[in-house]
Amino acid sequence: MSSTAAPLSARSLSALEAPPGGGASGARDFAHYLARKLAAAVVSFAMLLVVGFVIFSLMPSDPVEALTRGHPTSAKQIAFLVKQLGLNQPVWERFGHFVVNTLEGHLGYSWQFETPVATLILQRLWPTLLLMGSSTIVSILIGMWLGIHSGWRPGKLLDRAATGTAITFWSVPTYWLGILLLVLFSTGFGVIPPLFPAGGMSTPGTVGGWAPAHILDVARHLVLPSLTLVLVVFAQYQMIMRSSMIDEMGNPYLLTARAKGLRDAEVRQKHAVPNALLPSVTLIFLQVGTMIGGAITVETVYSWPGLGYLTFQALQIPDLPLLEGTFIVFSASVIVFNLLADLAYRHLDPRVRRS
Amino acid sequence: MAPLLEVRDLAVTYRSGAEQVRAVRGVDFALEPGDTLGMAGESGCGKTTVALSLLRLLPVSAELSGQILFKGEDIIGLGWQKLRAVRWAQASVVFQGAMSALNPVRSVGEQICEPIILHEKASRRVAESRAAGLLDSVGVSSARLDSYPHELSGGQRQRVMIAMALACQPDLIIADEPTTALDVIVQAQVLQLLTGLVRERQISMIVISHDLSVLGETCDRLAIMYAGRIAETGPSREVLGKPRHPYTRILARAFPRMGDAQSRLAPAGLPGEPPDLRAEVVGCPFAPRCPEVVADCHTAAVELWPAGERRESACIKVLDGYGHPAGVAQQTAARAGDQDAAQRTGGPGGEQPGTAELRAEGPGTAGPGAGQRGSEGPAAVLEASGLRVVFPARRGRGAARAVDDVNLTIGRGEIVALIGESGCGKSTLARALVGLVEPTGGEVRYAGAPLRYGSAALRAHRKHVQLVLQDPAGALNPRQTVFDLVAEGPRLHGMRAGLTERVHRALADAGLRPPGQFVGRYPHELSGGQQQRVVIAGALALDPSAIVADEPVSSLDASVRGEILKLILSLRDELSLSALIVSHDLGVAWNIADRVAVMYLGRIVEAGPVRDVLLRPRHPYTQALLSVLPDATRDAPARTLAGEPPDPTKIPAGCRFHPRCPRLAALPAGDERAELCRATPVPVLASGAQAPGPAAAASLVACHLADLDVSGLIEPGKPAPQGAQ
Amino acid sequence: MTAIDQASAALTAPPRLLALRRFARDFARRPSAMAGLAILVIVTVLALTAPLFIHASDLDVINAPGQPIAPPSARFPLGTDYAGRSILTLLVWGSRPSLAIAVISTALTMVFGSSIGLLAGHYGGITSRVLMAITDWFIALPTLPLAIGLAAALGQGDTSITIAIAVTSWPGTARLIRAQTLAVEARPFIERARALGARDGQLVLRQVLPNVSPFILVSATLTVAGAILTETTLAFLGLGNPTDVSWGSMINQAFFQGAVSAGAWWYILPPGIAIVIVALGFTLIGRAVENILNPRMAR
Repeated sequence: MSSTAAPLSARSLSALEAPPGGGASGARDFAHYLARKLAAAVVSFAMLLVVGFVIFSLMPSDPVEALTRGHPTSAKQIAFLVKQLGLNQPVWERFGHFVVNTLEGHLGYSWQFETPVATLILQRLWPTLLLMGSSTIVSILIGMWLGIHSGWRPGKLLDRAATGTAITFWSVPTYWLGILLLVLFSTGFGVIPPLFPAGGMSTPGTVGGWAPAHILDVARHLVLPSLTLVLVVFAQYQMIMRSSMIDEMGNPYLLTARAKGLRDAEVRQKHAVPNALLPSVTLIFLQVGTMIGGAITVETVYSWPGLGYLTFQALQIPDLPLLEGTFIVFSASVIVFNLLADLAYRHLDPRVRRS
Repeated sequence: MAPLLEVRDLAVTYRSGAEQVRAVRGVDFALEPGDTLGMAGESGCGKTTVALSLLRLLPVSAELSGQILFKGEDIIGLGWQKLRAVRWAQASVVFQGAMSALNPVRSVGEQICEPIILHEKASRRVAESRAAGLLDSVGVSSARLDSYPHELSGGQRQRVMIAMALACQPDLIIADEPTTALDVIVQAQVLQLLTGLVRERQISMIVISHDLSVLGETCDRLAIMYAGRIAETGPSREVLGKPRHPYTRILARAFPRMGDAQSRLAPAGLPGEPPDLRAEVVGCPFAPRCPEVVADCHTAAVELWPAGERRESACIKVLDGYGHPAGVAQQTAARAGDQDAAQRTGGPGGEQPGTAELRAEGPGTAGPGAGQRGSEGPAAVLEASGLRVVFPARRGRGAARAVDDVNLTIGRGEIVALIGESGCGKSTLARALVGLVEPTGGEVRYAGAPLRYGSAALRAHRKHVQLVLQDPAGALNPRQTVFDLVAEGPRLHGMRAGLTERVHRALADAGLRPPGQFVGRYPHELSGGQQQRVVIAGALALDPSAIVADEPVSSLDASVRGEILKLILSLRDELSLSALIVSHDLGVAWNIADRVAVMYLGRIVEAGPVRDVLLRPRHPYTQALLSVLPDATRDAPARTLAGEPPDPTKIPAGCRFHPRCPRLAALPAGDERAELCRATPVPVLASGAQAPGPAAAASLVACHLADLDVSGLIEPGKPAPQGAQ
Repeated sequence: MTAIDQASAALTAPPRLLALRRFARDFARRPSAMAGLAILVIVTVLALTAPLFIHASDLDVINAPGQPIAPPSARFPLGTDYAGRSILTLLVWGSRPSLAIAVISTALTMVFGSSIGLLAGHYGGITSRVLMAITDWFIALPTLPLAIGLAAALGQGDTSITIAIAVTSWPGTARLIRAQTLAVEARPFIERARALGARDGQLVLRQVLPNVSPFILVSATLTVAGAILTETTLAFLGLGNPTDVSWGSMINQAFFQGAVSAGAWWYILPPGIAIVIVALGFTLIGRAVENILNPRMAR
């Protein structure tokens, strides 16, 4: 599910993704390139900290009031809280503390869980990775396959069916789809019996660890949330890939390949797809932001104990330090993925690698 | 001997929805083993469709009928497996525009090896060594096997395409516009290579081109296509020398030869447009535009009739009873054709030709500078004086001295042609004269006064000097009507009074009559020639004294080219409009220019009256440009220049042409003049402004060895030896 | 139409009208586009006229007209919600905040994003690099966490959601418009306009903008679709106006008030289907317009 514009021509967006051509080839140039991109990532991260600070520490009207809402508090307790939260310090000092703490890994203290935020995040990291990772891989495989084939013969039945399905799924709210699947396959509806658990990552009371029974149990719990994410996200990848393929179709080198006597499938796989992959790879990497958004809502619906569910829980108070922590972690991971996207593009496109 | 390829009654129709386009309507020809056939025609005539249909490479929406017998088997009915086996192994293709005809993400070597591995099941190692050998034979170092297409120059890419086409040792090569978009000299190099290889390996070849002169030089036989049919075929020298179809005659004149008095200041063109291929055509498709049409042309079914030994023509006049279409002095027929065309209303597009008159130029006329055109007041309208334009260094590339100290003058009522290859700086110079590019040094002068770059001064300058660009379709905002497009200039300058009249007058001057019929149209509804007229009308609407035209006719069809050139000539005659025509095509200079300046790497190397420079060139570069012009009547092979087109970021020391100069290379070793060429820069040419009087006609040349006669030292037929590479 | 007809039509009808008519004809030929348009019109009419036939009493939580979570019946064609209100009524009423927020945030996005894109594309150089650096960095921020953060920090309510959506959507538009501006400015007719004497402002307004505006239109329709989805998500997570009814909050109530285990499909399905239909409607229109403008992308 996305709130940004659906992918229009991959080319128009990818024109901006491709890094400008560098100098001559060689490892030294790669070092330059890497250094440049790392520097940019560091700057992004710095700005991220500024924004995080502004949103979570400066904007809220009165954190003390939010914390103590509903509880009678004496003036002394309020003064103590103010001191503890550092609200009476000048902005610069607070920001300085914030940056130092963040870099050291001290992301604050959750008000509702009364545990350090960093601890909570580490606890919940693996489930999110598992969910997002498996969903991403499956979505990419399905989406790209469909995109390649529907882009190769646009207007034909496969294309119309696949594109229609993709557009429809793109318009479906992730959380609602999750609820539907929950009703259909977990609670059971009509003739469909309950097949999958209603939530959580494993059946309560079972033994954890790497025992096969446990792995199977987790896998059973993973099916519905993962399916929800895949259904909503594969459409993005499909449209991107389709768009790229259609852009490639007009190119004369495909005619050259046909003239050489290659079969249609060979022309597609050996010539069109490698070229169409270039802008797609970058755009797909950049979709990680969408994936994160999907993860938040899916985890909420399925009570999947990951970072997304943590964010939802943080919203209830609102638990600002926790929200801040998850925000920073999510955003930092997007920065990392953008960096990976640039490096991957450079590796794949010889025009950039050696100019 | 049975012909290698026989095409019988080939017809190709594209269907999309309810519409159908009959791109090819009944084409017959045959090709003997070892022969080369050239197929010429303008855009939309069907020549590329014919070429692609030979291997069934057309899109799925195309329907073929007829027979294509390749080595006796009909390609049209061939099963897929057999067709794939024929492709490349028996007949291969050299496409144009090799930048996008080669896969950008795979190395050149891989792409050459691909068909070898596919058809001969060879191992990678064997294929690679074959590929290396092929690259050698086309003059590309085999170290380039691992290069990617974008790392090669245009000429090198085209050579790679040729090597690729030879990979499986085919019996037939189909070359579709193999040298379009290449510079003139590179074009000559590639053509020489192609024809040499083909002859050496006894491969038959079909060459498709819109450039008749290229075909005349490279092919044994010619077939001229028009509106999906063949209009004429025969041995190339004869077809070009004595055409037996009116279309051929006009097409041939669109590629003038230097020294041909008939085409001097007399560009040839055709009014109207090619017919709509969606409709059925009754009679001869060329009839609406034909200068020699008779009544029967509209009704009789035309086919290829014998018109001489191994010649055929689809003109009804080759039949007895109609008189001879050729033989009777070409000149009078052509002249009559021009005058008839001037009165004709043209085809459904309604394009009206300009009111051109033929201009006979007597010997000894030195051009307009010699006080012919009533030049009271300053003779120079537009001047570049010591002009320099340097593009600053960017990442990965040094500073480019695009224009490096140029003096150039355009007089009142004078047409000057600026000729050069890509990268020589001519487009930058043109834009500097119009004020779109601010020079780094020197000045631009209008009517003697230097151009200042404040916004008011620039706006005033726009009213005096206007620009016409190469791509008329791109130069017109697709969302504006013709009226708005022409009115844009006056509106920007606040000339609101009488705007409608001004627009109508400009359109009429540009040959779009009646103007009222055009004002409401959008650019995409007009033909290429009409679009360019709209661009010119837009320039004329500001009443300029001079126009600068950057490749004004390069993207137009050959027959339309003449009409636009005629228009420019007529504007000079009627409005005293001066013009600077920038082009890579010397034929344009011959057709309409009074003076010509040749540019190389940012400097003018030779300038003077057209007759002098083009008939008696003194600079080796000019000589090279002239010698590589394709010419079917030439006996000696062309002398091309070695090396690649120059790079303005790396200008050689001394004379900037010396690394490629055949004169320098022909000097005996140790000659001290060689040092002069390598170390001492050549003095910048003066502007060549014509002072009134008979003595003004001399041409200027920038060469240390200008009057050295080395004709005895250079062996004819060999390409000029390489200088410092 | 013969050439003569075309010529006479060109003489009589004002040219811009011809272009519009042609566009409308192309649009009408596509069933998906017409379906999208129909959806849009119906939903907009319903949303605008809702106050005429829905009264405050229908929305009252305390004195609700029916039994809580009751299945569909004659009186309540879509059943009732957790408080006993008719779901059909809520469905119609819920369209208002969703549409309003989506349209307003899209308007903000388009104005801001397009301006930045045009400026960056037109001026190039340092302006462009600075603007694009800011834009690129904003794009890097993941949408939902940022929206959640903003909405949480600003407090619950429609305004926060609107701002959050606008802040997360404008970078995508800016990038797109910048790319299109660059593409348009590379075409020769811009150079011609300069040669004729156009100054910067005139160039952008008269030459560039009319050629970029179709893309702005397409981007707008697709942004609205995305905005609707984001808004309902934020409402589902509890960040919407607690006193108002929106589709997202309906699903939120359905989920957290136990409609799932109760099997109350009438509570869960309608709001979601409504969201899908409206988002789909905008998407179909956007894609149709894009295909008309850029025929290469077959459907």
